[in-house]
Amino acid sequence: MKALWIAVPLAVTVMAVAQNQTVEFWHTFGDAKRGNWIQARADEYNKANPSLKIVPIYKGVSDETLQATVLAARQGKAPALVQVDGTSSQLALDSGIFQPVSSVEDVDFSDYLKPIVSYYTIGGKVNSIPFNSSSPVLYFNKDLMVKAGLDPARPPTVFSAVLATCAKFDAAKLGVKCVALTPFSWLFEQWMSQQNAQLLNNGNGRQDRATASNIDSPAGRKIFQFYKDLNDRGYLTNTGKLADTVGTNAIFGQQKALMTINSTAGLGNLLDASKQSGFQMGVGVLPIPDGSLRNGVVIGGASLWVAKAIAKPEAETALDFALFMTNTENMASWHKLTGYYPVRTSSVNLLRKQGWFEGNPLQLVAFRQLLSTKPNIANAGALTGANIQMRALIEQNIQKVLSGQGVSDVAKTANEQVSAALVEYNKNFK
Amino acid sequence: MNAARPNKQTAPIRTSPQQQARDRPPRAGSEHATFRGRWLPWLLLLPTLAILGVFSYYPAVQTLRLSVFRSNIIVGNEQFIALDNFSSLLSSPVYQQVMLQTLVFIALVVTLGLMIALGLAWLASQPIPGAKFYRLMLIYPYALSPAIAGTLWLFLFNPEVGAVNHLLETLFGIKPRWLDQPFLAFGLVVAATVWKGLGFNIVFYLAAIQNIPKEVTEAAQIDGATPWQLFYRVVVPLLSPMTFFLVFTNIVSSLFDSFGLVNILTRGGPVYGEAGITTFLVYQLYQDGFRSFQTGLAAAQAVLMLLLVICLIGLQFKYGSNRVHYGA
Repeated sequence: MKALWIAVPLAVTVMAVAQNQTVEFWHTFGDAKRGNWIQARADEYNKANPSLKIVPIYKGVSDETLQATVLAARQGKAPALVQVDGTSSQLALDSGIFQPVSSVEDVDFSDYLKPIVSYYTIGGKVNSIPFNSSSPVLYFNKDLMVKAGLDPARPPTVFSAVLATCAKFDAAKLGVKCVALTPFSWLFEQWMSQQNAQLLNNGNGRQDRATASNIDSPAGRKIFQFYKDLNDRGYLTNTGKLADTVGTNAIFGQQKALMTINSTAGLGNLLDASKQSGFQMGVGVLPIPDGSLRNGVVIGGASLWVAKAIAKPEAETALDFALFMTNTENMASWHKLTGYYPVRTSSVNLLRKQGWFEGNPLQLVAFRQLLSTKPNIANAGALTGANIQMRALIEQNIQKVLSGQGVSDVAKTANEQVSAALVEYNKNFK
Repeated sequence: MNAARPNKQTAPIRTSPQQQARDRPPRAGSEHATFRGRWLPWLLLLPTLAILGVFSYYPAVQTLRLSVFRSNIIVGNEQFIALDNFSSLLSSPVYQQVMLQTLVFIALVVTLGLMIALGLAWLASQPIPGAKFYRLMLIYPYALSPAIAGTLWLFLFNPEVGAVNHLLETLFGIKPRWLDQPFLAFGLVVAATVWKGLGFNIVFYLAAIQNIPKEVTEAAQIDGATPWQLFYRVVVPLLSPMTFFLVFTNIVSSLFDSFGLVNILTRGGPVYGEAGITTFLVYQLYQDGFRSFQTGLAAAQAVLMLLLVICLIGLQFKYGSNRVHYGA
């Protein structure tokens, strides 16, 4: 009798395992807002497909998640679906543990926004499903603008206009800094793209492995010069930490700066902060170097990769869930929650139909900026496995400019250092 | 370990000198504890050795091995490059600066940390009302995790919205740039590390102070020593074994545990010369090994750090131990 009590549940469990297919999805959102959204989508999917089970797991920030995935894959326990930061796409490719989604099954990418698909297309193949995408915009404090006699309906759109705005703002002597801006490589990359300048050689590292950077170019120097001008004229503020957008957001949110430049993904949080602090917030397009044709933004964010060394049905489930999570309705709700772009044209249309943009006109700026981007090599973004070093080096060199060093020297050093890091990374493949 | 090793003769378990004298020469099968057989002691050591083996020795050996390879953990390659990692590190101006910064940092943290801790422990051990409360409050920073301590300091010293600058601006009209003026940032990290370590040092000093025989201090007072003389001429020398121990633990902790604070407060910045001025050896290792995935290069750095610790401790034992007075 006793044996039966054990045997029956055991048999049931075995049967359940045979029927159920469990697929792990490792992501990088530890905050309740985004993490819960993902869990809710998984719950819906599991309910609709009783024989399948998607298990979303937060695995730390993007580097940690990628590293954990690689180590798991080497032990034959790869998670089927993984969120990988866009700039780490080359690393993900080089790890050899993922397969292009097109090799699992044919995916129709015609509904996905062109610049986003272009970002994740490497060697003619779309490797991963776009998920969370964003680009930088200008955030400004309308009330402070009015106080300083500036027109909040016409925020600056080029570097010289930012400086002119700051000059007027400074003259109003409100005891508030003009721009909260941190040394941030992501913006440097955006400004290279806007000038139609490739950050790295060999087609931004997309035709062949990049071996040198184009930082020491007129385009690159203009960006360093912008930081220098803002700093030398006393318009700039930040926490002093590199890439500390949390810090610059806090400064802007507490009305200690007139403007800040940051990702659209922060729109929701900044709006909350502005309400709390009691000011009207405006959003403008990313100000760019004078005389460039606004070649478009590079899509920041992350995409969903499917592991290679897993059974075919498991890979299909993973892909199916990725497509479900990024379907029209889900991307619209994701956008409303976070401020990330919905990655599909149909989601944009749905939002329009729902009247979302009338109620939230601030969101529209970012969309126009993205939709007007015509994909080319410069705005497809730079690809290299040394991406993390590259970013750290660019940020350190921006900081050197802020501490008083000359633009041409710094651009030269940054160029040499980044190129050396690229060459060092490429040695891994000799 | 030696005591447990089965010699030809049975080795006595460590006993007091008097007892050892009484027992000499050791007689086999006498009343004191011995291990029978060759294997029993090893069997008893096995759990410890297994844990040390898995978590200490094996990783250490792997680190040594990896240090002569070019290896990227994501790519998964291992290319033998002999001592290239070491030569490129030692010839790199960035790494040289990081090493120098680390040594200055250790020197400052150890001297300031111990001096302040000793002073506070001495004051807190005086017979005053509420001494117990003071002692408790002095110890509490040690109970905070480095991440929380770092976040606290970051909030306090945010140049625009931090409490410290708010205060300084209202009182003196200044707003120091704590996190991007190189020397201020360096000082801030030193101060935060010292503060974070105070609790640990104070606990040990308090215990040591309470163990100082009353006769000695009373004798000094009867001989007319001023409070300062009592502290400096009597107490400090009597505490030297504790200081010796704390210097060692503080060197090791400032070398390795500075990571948490640095990562949150400054992320190794701001740039000064070739590298971030608060990038210390362990943070450089983290950046190369865990941010840029250069596993081989990071392993070589771990080996260099091990050598540095050995050198520092060697120097300490050579030149420091003759200043230590054991016993009253």
